Amino acid sequence: MLAYALLAGVIFGLYFSLVGMGLNLVFGVMRIVNLAHGDVLMLGAFAAFWLFNLLGLPPLAAAPIVFVVAVAIGWPLYFLFVPRLLRARDPEMLSIIFFFGLSQVVVALATIAFGTNERSIPGRVLGSGPVHILGQSYPAAWVVSGAVSAAAVVLVTLYLYRTRLGTTTRAVMVHREEALATGIDVHRVSAIAFGVGLGLAAVAGVFAPFMMGSVRPAMGADINITSFTVIVIGSLGNPLGTVLGGIVYGIALMVMQSYFSSWANLLPYLLLIGILLIRPTGLLGRTLRHA
Amino acid sequence: MTTELLRATGLEAGYGRVQVLWGAGLAVGDGETVVLLGPNGAGKTTLLKVLMGLLPAWRGEVRFAERDVTPLRTDHRVRAGIAYMSEIGCFPGMTVDENIRIGGQFVPSARLKARMSELYALFPAIAERRDTLAGSLSGGQRKMVGIAKALASQPRLLIMDEPSAGLSPRLVKEVIQVLDQLGSDGLSLLIAEQNVNFLNLADRVYTLDGGRIGFEGSVAAMHDDDALRRAYFGLK
Repeated sequence: MLAYALLAGVIFGLYFSLVGMGLNLVFGVMRIVNLAHGDVLMLGAFAAFWLFNLLGLPPLAAAPIVFVVAVAIGWPLYFLFVPRLLRARDPEMLSIIFFFGLSQVVVALATIAFGTNERSIPGRVLGSGPVHILGQSYPAAWVVSGAVSAAAVVLVTLYLYRTRLGTTTRAVMVHREEALATGIDVHRVSAIAFGVGLGLAAVAGVFAPFMMGSVRPAMGADINITSFTVIVIGSLGNPLGTVLGGIVYGIALMVMQSYFSSWANLLPYLLLIGILLIRPTGLLGRTLRHA
Repeated sequence: MTTELLRATGLEAGYGRVQVLWGAGLAVGDGETVVLLGPNGAGKTTLLKVLMGLLPAWRGEVRFAERDVTPLRTDHRVRAGIAYMSEIGCFPGMTVDENIRIGGQFVPSARLKARMSELYALFPAIAERRDTLAGSLSGGQRKMVGIAKALASQPRLLIMDEPSAGLSPRLVKEVIQVLDQLGSDGLSLLIAEQNVNFLNLADRVYTLDGGRIGFEGSVAAMHDDDALRRAYFGLK
């Protein structure tokens, strides 16, 4: 059972990496806390649900569409709101309040539009039958979701470490003032990172029906807790630390569900409190810069 | 002064409601080295930030190569040929190579490669450590990274904010030697400093105090002024 839990933990860990990646990218570049992150994921999930049910579009085809749409929405949204937040005396706190409000609006509108019923997409659309890995059997939907998450993580790594835009994005993460002084168009770089952050959340949403069983308009709050746990474990402001955080969280969750299932729902909170008390900079231990 | 490259006139600026600059202005000629001398809190960094567009000018004008750049953003000023080396100078969490690439962000890829080779030839100490994080280098090497990063954009004018900050006297001497060579190669330099050793480089000097330009002239003329001699050289 332990081997099954550990491998399932890695699969879910890769997915949780994707869930937290966008939030951490946005925080890393802009030092703002997007509390509507979970709601963007929820919108991605509903987009996948409706694209499948209305157009018969499978999630693997929906994912790139949802990503592009989220990036396209994120770009103007950034210029509409974020520069104003960044000009505030305490942008981190103001962003928490602002995005909390935005989150409430999104949930209310989604509830009006979609109702409160839980929705799901049949797992078989991502492959039928179990997939055997190292002698263990897992639903194909889990494995495909984990593989897509791993691919997304690789693409984000390539974007950050192998492109000029990615290098300037990391420069903004390292020192925003120095980036400005060097002539980096910080708002352009940030707007792209904001759009990509929303896009990653939306893509994670596409696979939420398979990894979380079902989707509903109010799921964003739970997603936020999971995302914060994952990125705090890895390292706040370090998108690649999210991968480590995701896998640690995924394995811990699966082991808990296997051996202490009734306690599993407490796990995000316990991990969050534990890591903040023991190692507040996260396992990768990056020192935070201040906004 | 040779052909004028940069001219700032009547600059007023500050933070919030606090005014720091009160009608400050200066000029840098093509190929000239100008030192802006002033104590801590004189407004040197504020003036440089206004010149770079990092801080808006409340009043006044900045012209570069006969063009009004006052409304331009910093990235446009960098594209126009002004490079700025802040007191931090580089991105400590990134490698030497990445720092220089960022400095040359507007240079086409093929040209940037050649430019980086030139810069590594100019700074052999950092060439050996191109894959090292800038933050783990010595203070002097970090300054070299900062200068190389600024030069990567092939600027006509390099503006520097206290290049001696945090350096030992020996390292200050090394930085001065490098800047002397850059000046001899025809690069225009505007150096804000409180270390008078940098006056050895200066074609002209401005003193700044309380956000106002006090003196403008040659180093020799500065020596001739009793008050300035006492204030900046500690001589009677």
